[in-house]
Amino acid sequence: MLTAVRMQLRVCLLSVKYNIMREMLNPVTFVTNVVFMILNDAAILVQWFILFRLRGDIGGYTMKEVMLLWGLTAASFGLSRVLFTRVFSLPELIISGKLDSYLVQPKNVLLSVMTSATNISAIGDFLYGLILLVACGFSVSRLCLFLLFTVTGTVIITAFALLLGSLSFWFVRADMLGNQMVSGMISFMTYPDGIFRGISRFLLYFVIPVGMAVYHPVHIMTEFDVKMFFEVIGYAVLLMAAAMIVFYRGLRRYSSSSLMEARM
Amino acid sequence: MSRHTYGVSGRKYVVIYRAVLMENLQYAANIAMGFFGYFVFIFIFIKLWDYIYQTPEELIAGYTKEQMIWYVMMTEMIWFGSNTGAVARQVAADIRGGNIAYLMNKPYHYTLYILAKYTGEWSIRLPMYMLLAVAIGAAMVGAIPGFRLATVPVMILCLILGITINAVFKMCISLLSFWIEDATPFQWLYDKLILVVGTVFPIEIFPRTLQALFKLTPIYTVCYGPAKLVVDFSGEKCIEILSVQFLYLAVGCVLMFLIYRKGVRKLYVNGG
Repeated sequence: MLTAVRMQLRVCLLSVKYNIMREMLNPVTFVTNVVFMILNDAAILVQWFILFRLRGDIGGYTMKEVMLLWGLTAASFGLSRVLFTRVFSLPELIISGKLDSYLVQPKNVLLSVMTSATNISAIGDFLYGLILLVACGFSVSRLCLFLLFTVTGTVIITAFALLLGSLSFWFVRADMLGNQMVSGMISFMTYPDGIFRGISRFLLYFVIPVGMAVYHPVHIMTEFDVKMFFEVIGYAVLLMAAAMIVFYRGLRRYSSSSLMEARM
Repeated sequence: MSRHTYGVSGRKYVVIYRAVLMENLQYAANIAMGFFGYFVFIFIFIKLWDYIYQTPEELIAGYTKEQMIWYVMMTEMIWFGSNTGAVARQVAADIRGGNIAYLMNKPYHYTLYILAKYTGEWSIRLPMYMLLAVAIGAAMVGAIPGFRLATVPVMILCLILGITINAVFKMCISLLSFWIEDATPFQWLYDKLILVVGTVFPIEIFPRTLQALFKLTPIYTVCYGPAKLVVDFSGEKCIEILSVQFLYLAVGCVLMFLIYRKGVRKLYVNGG
C-alpha cells in the first residue's frame, strides 16, 4: 500500500518536473513570466502604503502583518497553480469529455488530472511570498511555520477549487460559479479579516474557506496558538477529503464525448 | 498604400461593430455570471472605507466616504465592463498563431477591426455593469452628493473615450508580440498600474509629486477622469479631462499604427 502511494506521488512529481522543463524550453519567456509576476504582485504594495498613511492600522493589522497575509496568499496560490493548475480548469475537462485520456492510464485519476499542467508565472507568486516573508522579519521558526501554512493554504485552495469544479459532473453552468467563487476567495484573502464583521466574517470562516487558509495562519505566526494550529491542519485535511469524495462520486456520472486524445 | 487596402472608410467598421454586438447579446446571461466578482470587490472596498473613515463627516483627500466608495464603484465598473479579450488575448493569439496573415489581407485595417470588435463587446457588458453599480450604490452606499442628471451625456462621452484609450494602449502592448513571443507579462504590469493607481484611489490621495507624474500616464484619462466627473463634477475639470483624453487618443493611435506597420514588416509565417 505504502509503496503504491509512494509510486503514485513519484509519478506526479515527475509529471510536474516535466511540465516545468517543457516551459523552460524558451528561457526568455520563462524568466519574463516569473519576474513580471513578481513585479505584478509587488505593485499592490503601493495600495497598502497609501492606506497605512491614512490610518495606523487596517482591521487591526500593521503593515508587516498585511505583508505576511499577502506573502501567505501569494505563496499558497502560487504553489497551488504550479502543482495543480489543472484543477482550476477541471469543469472544462468534464464538460468537453476530456477526462477519457486520464481514465485509461495506470495512475490515480485525480492526481493525474491535477498534476497534468503547470502555470509558470505562478512560480513568481510563490517566490514573491518568500520575498515578503524575508522583508517582514525572517527567522527559522517563522520560515518553518510559513512553509507549513503555505502547504495547508495550497491544500485548502486546491480542495475548494476541486470541490466546486466537481459540481460540473452534475451541473453544466457550475464552471462559472466555481471560477467566480475561487477568484472571490483570492480577493478576500488579500484583505485583513478585521474589516469584516457579522455575517461576512462568518461566511469567510465557514463558507468560503479564507479564514483557515490565511487569517488563522497569520494570527498563529503573530502569536502562536496551539488550538488554532490544529484547527487549520484538521480543516485542510477534512476539506481535501470532502473534495475527493465529491470528485469520485461525480466521476461515476461522467460520460465520454468520444473525443480522441492522447496523453504521453 | 491605397485607401482601399488601409480601409479608412468607417462603414465597414460599423458593420463589424453591429455584428459583434448582436453576437454578444446572446451571451448576456454569461456576462451576468461575472457580477459576483464585481460585487466581491465592491463589498471589500465598502468594508475597507467603512473602517478607515472614522466619522461620517470626515474628508480624505477632499472626498467624503460616499464619494470615495462611488469612485471605486465607477472605476471597477469600467474595469469589469470593458474587460474583454479582443485587444489583449486575441491580438496576441492572432500574431503568435499566424492568423494575422489572413486578417491583414482583408479590406480593413487590422487594428481598427479589433477596436470595432472590442467596442461591440463592451457595448453589452458595460451597461449591464452600470446598472449593477447603480443598484449596489443605491442599496449599500446612498446617493452621490451633488450629482446632476444633466451632466450624464458628457460623463458617457468621457467614459467611452477612456475605454477606447485603454484599448489602444493595450493593443500597442499586444502588438509587441511581433517581436517577443509572449507580451502577456507586459499586459499584467500595465493592468496592475491602472488597477492599483487608477481604480482603488483617486489621484489626489497620492503625494503631490506623484500626482503630477500620474497625470502624465493613461491612468488620468482611463479611470480617474470618468470616475472623477461622476463623483465630483465641475465644468473646468470636465474640459481639462476631455482635452487630455483627445490628446491621448491621438498619440495612442499614432503609436498603435506605427507599431503595427513596423510589426507586419517583421512578420514571418510558416505555411499552414
